[in-house]
This record gives sequence, C-alpha cells and structure tokens, in this order.
Amino acid sequence: MEFKDYYQILGVDENAELTEIKKAYRRLALKFHPDMNPDEGAEEKFKQVAEAYEVLKDDTKRAEYDEMKRYGSSSSKNFEAPPGWQPSGDFGAGNSGSSANYSEFFNSFFAGGQKGFSHAGQQEPDLFKGQDLEMEVPVFLEESVSGTTKNLEYLVPEFDGRQTQQIKKSLIVKIPQGISDGERIRVKGQGAPGQGAVNSKNTLNGDLFLHIRLVPHPLFDVQGINLLLTLPLTPWEAALGTKLEVPTLDGKINLNIPPNSCSGKKLRIKGKGLKSKTSQGDLLTILKIDIPPSTTSETKKLWEQLSEIEQYNPRADWSN
Amino acid sequence: MTNITLRIHLDELCLSADISQEAIIEVVEYGIVTPLEGDTLSEWVFDLESAHWIKKAIKLNQQLQIDWLATAMVIELMKKQQELIKENKQLKVRLSRLL
Repeated sequence: MEFKDYYQILGVDENAELTEIKKAYRRLALKFHPDMNPDEGAEEKFKQVAEAYEVLKDDTKRAEYDEMKRYGSSSSKNFEAPPGWQPSGDFGAGNSGSSANYSEFFNSFFAGGQKGFSHAGQQEPDLFKGQDLEMEVPVFLEESVSGTTKNLEYLVPEFDGRQTQQIKKSLIVKIPQGISDGERIRVKGQGAPGQGAVNSKNTLNGDLFLHIRLVPHPLFDVQGINLLLTLPLTPWEAALGTKLEVPTLDGKINLNIPPNSCSGKKLRIKGKGLKSKTSQGDLLTILKIDIPPSTTSETKKLWEQLSEIEQYNPRADWSN
Repeated sequence: MTNITLRIHLDELCLSADISQEAIIEVVEYGIVTPLEGDTLSEWVFDLESAHWIKKAIKLNQQLQIDWLATAMVIELMKKQQELIKENKQLKVRLSRLL
C-alpha cells in the first residue's frame, strides 16, 4: 500500500508542536473543505488533510506513526510496516468521518476493528454506521402535482475493511404528491452498508436522501403555490382585447384579455395553480406584447397611419 | 416499493447520523434550525431540510474546529446563498420568456 506522509500533507515539521499541527489543519481545512471550495480535487485534498490530522493530533497514534515512518519500508508506493509491528491503541475512526473516507494506509493501521495485521487478533468488528448518500432527483412539474414513482440507479460505496468499491444499486421510490423544488426525501437504510456488513449483523446501513429538483417546465414557472404563464400577444390583441384559449396544468381554458392591456400586466386565474395541504394556488398569466418579426409594405403603411393619429408618448414622464 | 419519510425524530436522527443530542441542542439553541414539532427535547421532530442543516452544521463545527456562533453564521450564509442561487435561476428562466 502507499505510505502517507502526514507531516508533508499538513506542511509541518516532524517535530511540530500540537498547536502548530492544529493551526496547519485549520488553515488547510478552511481552504479545501468541500463546502468552502467547489474546485475539483478539493474534497480529496480535504480528506487527506483530515486523515493526517486524525493521526497527528493524537499522541498515541502519532507516536506509532512516527515509529512506522522511521522503521518501515522506505518505498512509498509499496509500504510495509516494520517487522512484528503491532498497533497498541484501540483506534476508532474519530469524529471527522467514517474511516471509509480514509486511505488504505489509515484503515490498515489506525482505524478501529479491522487492523489488517495477522497478529492483530480476531476482534469483534465495531459498529460502524454506513455512510448516508444524497442524490438529486429531477421531477417534472406534472409528476410533482400527481405524485409518481421513480426508478433510481446509484452507486453505493462498500468498504471491505481495506478499500472502498462502488456497487451499482437500483431502487423504485414513490415520490409523494405535492413535492416541491428543494425538498428532501429519506429512504431509510438504502445508503452505504455499515462496516463489517459482510459477516456481521452488528451493522447499521446509512440512509439515502433524495434532493428533489423540479425540471423547468416549457410553459409554466413556479412561485410558491402559484404558477406563472407568460402569454404572448400581438399589439392589436393587446389594444383591442380578445378571448384566448390558454393552457393550464389540467387542460385549456378561455381567458378574456381586456382592451388596452399593456406588457407585464398580470391576469389571475383562480384555483389553477398548485395545491398545498391548506390552500390552492392560482395561475398568473403575464402578458407580453410581441411585434411581428417582419413587416410588409402594407402593414408598415398601417403602422405609419397609427403613429400619425395616436399622440401617446410612453416617455412623457422622462425629464428633459 | 421502498418506504420513504419526510420527517425525522430526534432519537432517530442521532442514531442515523451518528451525532449526539448535545450537538443537536447547540444547533437549535443557536437558531440554525427549529424543530417542526415537540415541546420537549424527547419530542423533537425535524423536517429533512432541517436534518440536512443539522448534519452540515455539526460537520463544519467539528471539521473546521469553529465555535457554534461562527457555525451559525456560516450556515445562515450558506442558506442565503442557496436561496439566492435558486431565485437567480428562476428569474433567468422568467427573463428568457419575456425577451
């Protein structure tokens, strides 16, 4: 396995005091924490830093690490512990995360339960909660209104005590009616299996959390429980008023456009929005006046006539 | 078909996320989340959005070794950022329909 130079990862000297190690960890954790740094590779870097700190902050682990570093194989790619070396501490993964997040090197020498050493003894594996998983699930607006089922396929990290493998899993999940964008659903026990799951029932699977993402609809936008529909009109429809058939989520309805409607005006259609537990939303149609893309000589003449007759100045409010 | 839940009880959250009750009390006391229901600690129930922020807050508190006040501020800013990103996305879609 690959040897990990924890001092180098934290950028500290081998004789560094604990305060110095702590300071280096804080600086690097802030720099690479996945919530602070979206760059590719930052999360991996953070894991390495957390792993290094997990060992170097603990006097016993650090002493054993130093011993291993001093007397172990010099080959960093194919590291072997000193002959007869045996970890003395009953190391757990600590509170920085599951040891499934750490390297094979860490898990072999510093994680609890599975020591990876022939003379480590046959110990009962510790109870390790499997990792919770999170995945985004795109849902169409129509599906959120009626409720739906989704066939999900995802990768589950399974840790065999030395390394983590990604296992493909599929699951049918019921998405409840009325689910909204950003909501979360918990699917109990469908996350990563607890460590030691192969031979022991003494484990606890992680959960799968589904993060609902509403797919943008080609016509409707969602605003709380109301739906917004942008309704394009010709200038003459807006000026003269008209009756139009407009789409709703459950079929078409007729809508009266009053004369002299301007762009941006909102017309409310009661009860045609989304339904919440306590109320029913509306459909708000927002008028948008479209000018014909091309003008014939005849229509141009008519626009000219209109401009001569009509004295309206939409910029009258502007100061000179 | 798999069973799903949209809320989680305090005990279950502690067990499932491997976190202590004390840490959750800190998260609630600093106003990072509010229980959905439950007048006493043993009755606390959270929605899953709150459960998400509880886990994130505790993780940040431990991993970045920052105090609870700083954690509350970071989470508040993260929530705000998430809201603004969502709103910005929605407004962009609406703007494209009007242009």
